[in-house]
Amino acid sequence: MIEVIGLQKTFDNGFEALKQVDFAIERGELVCLLGPSGCGKSTMLNLIAGLLQPTDGDIRFNGQSVIKTEPKDRNIGFVFQNYALYPHMTVLENIMFPLLVGDNKKKKAEAKVIAEKYMDLTNIKELQNKKPGTLSGGQQQRVAITRALVQEPEVLLLDEPLSNLDARLRLKIREEIRRLVKEVGITTIFVTHDQEEALSISDKIILLEDGKIQQEDDPQNLYLEPENLFVAKFIGNPIINFLPIEVIDDRVKHASFDLPLSHFIEERFKKSITNGKYYLGIRPEDIFPSDNGPLKGKIQSVELIGRERILHFELAGERVKSIVRVENEITEGTEVTFNLAYPKVFLFSLDGERIY
Amino acid sequence: MKKIVTLFSLLFLTLLGIITVFPFIYMILGGLMTYREATSIPPTVIPDSFQWVNYFAVFEKAPFIQYFINTSFVSLVTTLATVITSLLAAFALATLEFRYKKVVMVGLISLLMIPYESIIFTNYNTIARLGLLNSYTALILPFLTSIFYIYYLTNYLKSISRSFYQAAKIDGASDMEYIKKILVPMSKPALVTVGILTFISSWNSFLWPLLVTNDKRFRLLNNGLSAFTSESGSDVHLQLAAATLTVLPIVLIYFIFRKEIIQGVAKNGIKG
Amino acid sequence: MGKKNYNSENQLKAWYFLLPALLAIFVFNIYPLFRAFFMSFQKGTLINPRFAGVENYQRLFSDPVFFRALKNTAFYSFTVVPIALILSLAIAWVIFEKVKYKSFFEAIFFMPYVTSTIAIGIVFRYFFNGSYGLINYLLEFVGLPRVNWLDSVSMSMPTLILFGIWTSLAFNIIILLAGFRNIDKEHYKIAKMFGANEWEIFLQITLPQLLPTLTFLLTVNLIGAFKIYTQVYALFGGQAGIAKSAMTAVFYIYDKFHVVGRPGLAMAATLVLFLLILSITFFQQLILKKVGRQR
Repeated sequence: MIEVIGLQKTFDNGFEALKQVDFAIERGELVCLLGPSGCGKSTMLNLIAGLLQPTDGDIRFNGQSVIKTEPKDRNIGFVFQNYALYPHMTVLENIMFPLLVGDNKKKKAEAKVIAEKYMDLTNIKELQNKKPGTLSGGQQQRVAITRALVQEPEVLLLDEPLSNLDARLRLKIREEIRRLVKEVGITTIFVTHDQEEALSISDKIILLEDGKIQQEDDPQNLYLEPENLFVAKFIGNPIINFLPIEVIDDRVKHASFDLPLSHFIEERFKKSITNGKYYLGIRPEDIFPSDNGPLKGKIQSVELIGRERILHFELAGERVKSIVRVENEITEGTEVTFNLAYPKVFLFSLDGERIY
Repeated sequence: MKKIVTLFSLLFLTLLGIITVFPFIYMILGGLMTYREATSIPPTVIPDSFQWVNYFAVFEKAPFIQYFINTSFVSLVTTLATVITSLLAAFALATLEFRYKKVVMVGLISLLMIPYESIIFTNYNTIARLGLLNSYTALILPFLTSIFYIYYLTNYLKSISRSFYQAAKIDGASDMEYIKKILVPMSKPALVTVGILTFISSWNSFLWPLLVTNDKRFRLLNNGLSAFTSESGSDVHLQLAAATLTVLPIVLIYFIFRKEIIQGVAKNGIKG
Repeated sequence: MGKKNYNSENQLKAWYFLLPALLAIFVFNIYPLFRAFFMSFQKGTLINPRFAGVENYQRLFSDPVFFRALKNTAFYSFTVVPIALILSLAIAWVIFEKVKYKSFFEAIFFMPYVTSTIAIGIVFRYFFNGSYGLINYLLEFVGLPRVNWLDSVSMSMPTLILFGIWTSLAFNIIILLAGFRNIDKEHYKIAKMFGANEWEIFLQITLPQLLPTLTFLLTVNLIGAFKIYTQVYALFGGQAGIAKSAMTAVFYIYDKFHVVGRPGLAMAATLVLFLLILSITFFQQLILKKVGRQR
C-alpha cells in the first residue's frame, strides 16, 4: 500500500541523503528501516511523513502520489524520537489533542471516549492526569504511541522509538510495540540503528547505507543470506569474522591456512569463481574448536557472557572470534584447532559482492 | 586582609545602594512636603506632616488623569500589537521553511543598527503628511512591531524543538491552532518578558510623543510631567509629587514582575 | 485528500505571518532612512522643499554650534561609558562575591532602568539646586565649597556626566551579573586550590571570561551615549544646559528640525551622526578583535 519510487533527496548543502531508492510495503506489515547513522533512514521516514520534500521520485499511498499532500492529510501517525509530548498538557489532553483540532474536530465528550479506548489498549489509563515531565521514558513512549494511534491512521511511523530507553526496557517495549500494532492491524514503519531490535520484531527489514538500499528481506534471511559484505557485517552480534584470502587454482589460501575449494558446496556459488583476491566471512558460531581442523590459533582471551564463551584468537595477525557453549572449558593460552561450517561460510569480492 | 577587603566592599556597596535608591525615596517624601520644607536650608528629610494636598494641587493644575489614561491606553495597545506581530513573525522565521528566509533575517539584523533617533524625524514627517498629528494613532502607529523583539523571539522559539510543530501538524492542527494551543503556552516566559518590557518602555517614552503631540488631550504622562515642570516654575514640592505619580505605576509593576523583567533583560541584553 | 500544493520546504504561507510586521517595518524603519538621506539634500520647509545639493552639509560643517554639540557628545560618551562600566563591574563583583541576598541587591540596582528619566531628572535637578539642593548642603557639611551645578556654563557637562553615570549603572550591573553567573564555578575551585588570591582570580579568570559581556556593554553603551537627549532635557528642564553649554547631537537635530524649522539641515546632521556611530562601533570592534587575538 506504500510505494517508494525512484526517490532521491539532496539537501541544500549538497549532501545526497538518498540516491534512487525503490521499495514497497504491504498493508499490515511491520517494516524496519535499518542502518548506521547517516544512512538516510530518518530522512526516508520524514519523506514518507511529508516533513521533507523529495528532490526526485515519488511516494504513493494506495496508488496515489502524496508528495504534494500535507502530513495531516496523509492519514499517518508519527512517534518522534524525543516523543514531542506537549509539556503543558496532561496525558489525556495530549492524547485528545489530535481529535480536537483540524478539519474534523470532534466534540470534547466524543474525543474523550476515543482517547480512553486507546489508553486502555496501551495500558496508560492511570497516567491520564499526569504531565509528561513526571513520566518515565517508557511511559512517555507509550503516551506518544497512543497519541499517534488515536486518529486511527492507516500508517504508523516511529523514529528510533527505543533509543532513549535503557537496555532492559528496550527488550520489553519492543515486544509490546509489535503486539500492539499487530492487534490494531496497522501498517507500521520504524527506524532504528539497532540490528538486534530489527531482527527481533520486524516482518521485513530494509537495510540502508549511504543513501541506497543494501538489502530488503525478512530478518532471518538477512542474517543467513546477506547479499553483500556490508549486510553481513552489519547484521549479527558479535560481528562476523572476515579474512582476506586468495583463490589460486583449487585452493582457498590465507596466510595461516589453505582450504580445498572442493569443500565448498557447489550450489551455493552465486557466480563462478575465478582466481583472485576475496574476503572470506564466517560468523563466530560457525567456527568451532575441532580435533582436526584446518585452522590453528592460540587463545588470547576468553570472554564469559553468561551462557556463552567467546574465544579470541589470531590468524596471521587477524583477530578472529569463536563462540562456544560456556561448558567448553578452553582457557587462555591454549593452542586450539578450529574447523568451519562450510555451508555457512561466505565469500565476497573485494567490492563486497557476495560470491558464495 | 581579606576581611578588610570584604568590609570595604560592603561599605562601597551600601553607599552606592543608597545613592541608587535615595532619589526615589526622596521623590516620595519631597512630594509630601510643603514648599517651605522642600526648599529649606538645611534640607528637610521627613516632612512634619504628609501634605497629601500636593497631589490634589497637581491634578488641579494639569490633567494628570487624562495623561494617565492616554499613557495606559497607548502603552497597552502598543504592547498588544508588538507582542502579536512579533510572535507571528518569529513563528514564521523560526518554524517555517521558505525561500528568502535568510534574506529576511539578515535584513532584520542590519536594521537593528539604525538608531531610532535617525528615523524619528522622518516618521514625524510621514505622520504629519497623513494628518495624524495629535492623535492616538500617531502615538501607536510607528510602534506596532519591534525588530528587536522579532529577533529575540525568533531566537527563543528556535530553542523549542521543531518536533513539537511537526507533531502538531501531523496531529492535524492548523498553524493558528498550533500557535494558540502549543506555542503560546510553551513560550509564556518570553512573551511575558517582551510584553512587560514593551509596556515599560512605552510608558517611559518621551521624544516621539514630544514631536507628535502638544495637545493636552493626547499628551502622555512623561511629556505631561515635563510640561508641568516648566509651567509650575519653582513649585518643587508639586513637581516631586507629579514625578512620584508618573513613576509609581511602573515601580509597582516592577516589584510584582521583577523576576521576569530582570531575567528577560539578563538573558538577552534587551535594551528597553 | 486535502490541498495538493504542499511543499514542506517552501511554505508561502510564512509570508502571511510576516506581513503585518514587515509592513510596519518598511513604513517606519526602512522608508524613513531613505527619506532622511533624500531630505538632507533639500532646503526650505517640510511643505515646500527645494533642491539644495550639498548646501546643508556645508552649512553644517561651518556651524560652531554643531561642532560644540559633537564635542560635548563625544566628551560625554567617552567619559560616562568607561566610568559607568568600571563602577558597574565593581558593584556587580561585590554583589556576586560578597553578598548573600543577591536578588535583593539586583532588584535595588535595577530600579533606575525602569523608571522615567524625566521624573528622575526632576529629583536630580532638586538635589543639584544651587541654594537648597541636598548635594551642596552635604558639601558644606564636610567643609567643601558649594558648587553651581546647574547654572554655570563650565559645570553643565560635569553635572550631566554625573547624571549619566547614575542612569547607566542599572543595565550594566544586571548584564554583568548574568555574565558572572555564566562562569563555570569549577574554574574558581581549581584556582583556589592553587592558592590564588582574590585579585589574581579576578584578573586571570573572571575578567577574561567576562570579555564578551564587557564588549557587548561597551558597544551598546557607546551607541546609547551618542544618542543622548532625554537626560539633557530632564536635567536642564528642556534646555540644553545654560546658554546651550550642554548641547548634544540629537538636541541639535531636534532644534533644527522642530524649533528652527530647517528639516534638511536636521537630516544632514542625522546622517552625520548615524555615520559617526557606525564608524565608532566599527573601530571599537576592530580594536577589540586585535586585543582578543593578542591574548
